[in-house]
Amino acid sequence: MKSAPKLIRQYLAILLFSTILLPVLNLAFFMAVTSRHVSDTAPWRTAKEAAQSLQKNADGYIMPDEIMDKLHTYDAWAVLIDDDNRTVVWQTPNLPAEIPTAYTLSDISGLTRGYIADYPTFTGGAEDGLLVIGFPKDSFWKDMSPTWDYNLIKNAPKLVLTLLLLNVSAIFLLYLAANFTVLRSVKPITDAIKALPAGEAVYLPEKGLLSEVAADINRTSEVLQSQNYQLRRRETARANWISGVSHDIRTPLSMVMGYAGQLKESPRLNAGEQQKVSAIVKQSERIRDLINDLNLASKLEYHMQPIQPAALNLVAIARQVVVDFINAGLEDKYSILWETEETLTACPVTVDKNLIRRALNNLIQNSINHNEQGCNIFVSVTADQDNTWQSPQRSGTCSITVSDDGRGITDEQIDRLNHTPHYMFCNENTAEQRHGLGLLIVKQITTVHGGSTTISRRENGGFSVRLTLPSA
Amino acid sequence: MDYNFLKTKRILLVDDEAELLNMVVSILESEGFTQIATAGSVRQALSAAERFRPELAVLDVMLPDGNGFVLMEQLKRNGDFPILFLTACGENDDKFRGFGLGADDYIVKPFLPKELLFRIMAILRRTYKKEDPFVRLQNCTIDLSRAEVIRNGVSVPLTAKEHNLLSALCRNAGRIVTIDALCEAAWGDNPFGYENSLMAHIRRIREKIEADPSHPVSLVTVKGLGYKLIVKAAGENERRNESFG
Repeated sequence: MKSAPKLIRQYLAILLFSTILLPVLNLAFFMAVTSRHVSDTAPWRTAKEAAQSLQKNADGYIMPDEIMDKLHTYDAWAVLIDDDNRTVVWQTPNLPAEIPTAYTLSDISGLTRGYIADYPTFTGGAEDGLLVIGFPKDSFWKDMSPTWDYNLIKNAPKLVLTLLLLNVSAIFLLYLAANFTVLRSVKPITDAIKALPAGEAVYLPEKGLLSEVAADINRTSEVLQSQNYQLRRRETARANWISGVSHDIRTPLSMVMGYAGQLKESPRLNAGEQQKVSAIVKQSERIRDLINDLNLASKLEYHMQPIQPAALNLVAIARQVVVDFINAGLEDKYSILWETEETLTACPVTVDKNLIRRALNNLIQNSINHNEQGCNIFVSVTADQDNTWQSPQRSGTCSITVSDDGRGITDEQIDRLNHTPHYMFCNENTAEQRHGLGLLIVKQITTVHGGSTTISRRENGGFSVRLTLPSA
Repeated sequence: MDYNFLKTKRILLVDDEAELLNMVVSILESEGFTQIATAGSVRQALSAAERFRPELAVLDVMLPDGNGFVLMEQLKRNGDFPILFLTACGENDDKFRGFGLGADDYIVKPFLPKELLFRIMAILRRTYKKEDPFVRLQNCTIDLSRAEVIRNGVSVPLTAKEHNLLSALCRNAGRIVTIDALCEAAWGDNPFGYENSLMAHIRRIREKIEADPSHPVSLVTVKGLGYKLIVKAAGENERRNESFG
């Protein structure tokens, strides 16, 4: 799965981001909530402020009005305990009855740390005594014994950091484990989806996190397989049908050709009759070539033609085809010229010899058939640089070019040959179909060998076809 | 050489199409063949082979009571004679199967009378030729059986490679033999990079058989393609026999 690293990267990014974001968010939230409470109602500060504001005059003690208002707002009471005799020397009017008026030292130590009669108390040092403010019951909670091991406080930053790290790694591991479980169950599914277009049969165990998706994929695969099977069956039937028809035509056509061929040699026929019989012979040969071509073309198209590739020399194959044409006796108006560089003696390819010979035969025969006035036919084999048999680097291509200096071909015709569908494989009911099987077979043959066919015009107006094959 | 004696050879034709049998018989008869037997099935073919003892059999592959390949094996058990398949099965694998079992040639229907006669004559010539080891050229005679060239009454021996090359050229006298086919004849399968050696051997052969090796008249070069051996008398005979009137 190519996307896995990308997925993991994405997960990591999200993970890192969230582990940083979460503490920051928490801190911000905590601060937002607590700051409001702490700053306005800090009771220690109020106590200290009140203690400093308390003024002594001849009549006793006077608390400024603003402090009194503040205390009133909090519903708090206050007393001033005298330094010397530890009795209450001043008090607010709202002092609850249960508050004592005299204190021992231990009382004072207790109320400093905690409560008087459940009223949370806070103290501030005044001029001659201790000012004690009591807030309503249950308004504050006081920690009575705030004592910490020294080392604990000293190592607090380290400890917090370690804790944070531990937390982050715990989150990280949990996240990773969770995601890998998902990834593991996703992987066979993505593999299966990738295999489907290739036409492979797919079966996934229908269990785990994504069992429903797996089941859907299994069903899709079944449908595709059965469709492929039907298609193959139809193609096989079509190829068999063509092969059967061509087989059945052969025997009756043998009679036509046999008797016509015999008649043609008869000395008793006059010139006109001779001509007619010759035409019968010639046309029946055309029918024969046509059924052979039709059969081969359909087999190649439906991959029913057995291909027997072997490591061979393309120069030798081409040379043999040319020589066979010459040896068979070419009419004088045609000549085949071998234009391969003398230095190119071998061009290694892995091909089915019979098919390549068939392709070359078709090309040379095409030039002959289409140029009744006669023409020169040029055959050449070329190879990429450093592509001889001896060279260690055996990559590249070998090409055979068959061209002629005959009637040639127009641009529209080239376009038609390259783009108009052949009637054999045209699925539209259109008159724009290509006929003639010779070039179609050539193209099919180069295609099954992983090569390409280029149709073009020769420099001086003739026709030229170049077959390019990967070298072995 | 006169090959008319081959037309007295006994030929057995096996095909389930009576019409086709009639036609082939008429083709062979008009060419001058005199001893022809026909059969329409494997059973008939086997009994005909026993009585007629053919010297060549032409078999169809598909027969009503069996197939031609099996028939060929049975026929070969009774006598060693060449077999030519004549069939409507044009598939490649059928072809290989036929040759693999020892068929001598294979013609796919439909065919012209000329092609059939050419193949039959070629097989008969190969199988029943009168031994004539001499190949007559413009300036000398080659005796392939003794691997020597006789020129002006003097015999010059041929090396093994030269003998192989000349044999291949003689078998195809009057026809171009490609450089690759000659290399294969001299050095065996998949010969590559022997082109220069071949040229050296051809030069030495020319020194032995040509009056002027620089201007050869018997062993001529076809540029880029191969070589051709021009044979004097036998070559003319060959052409007359192969044209079949």
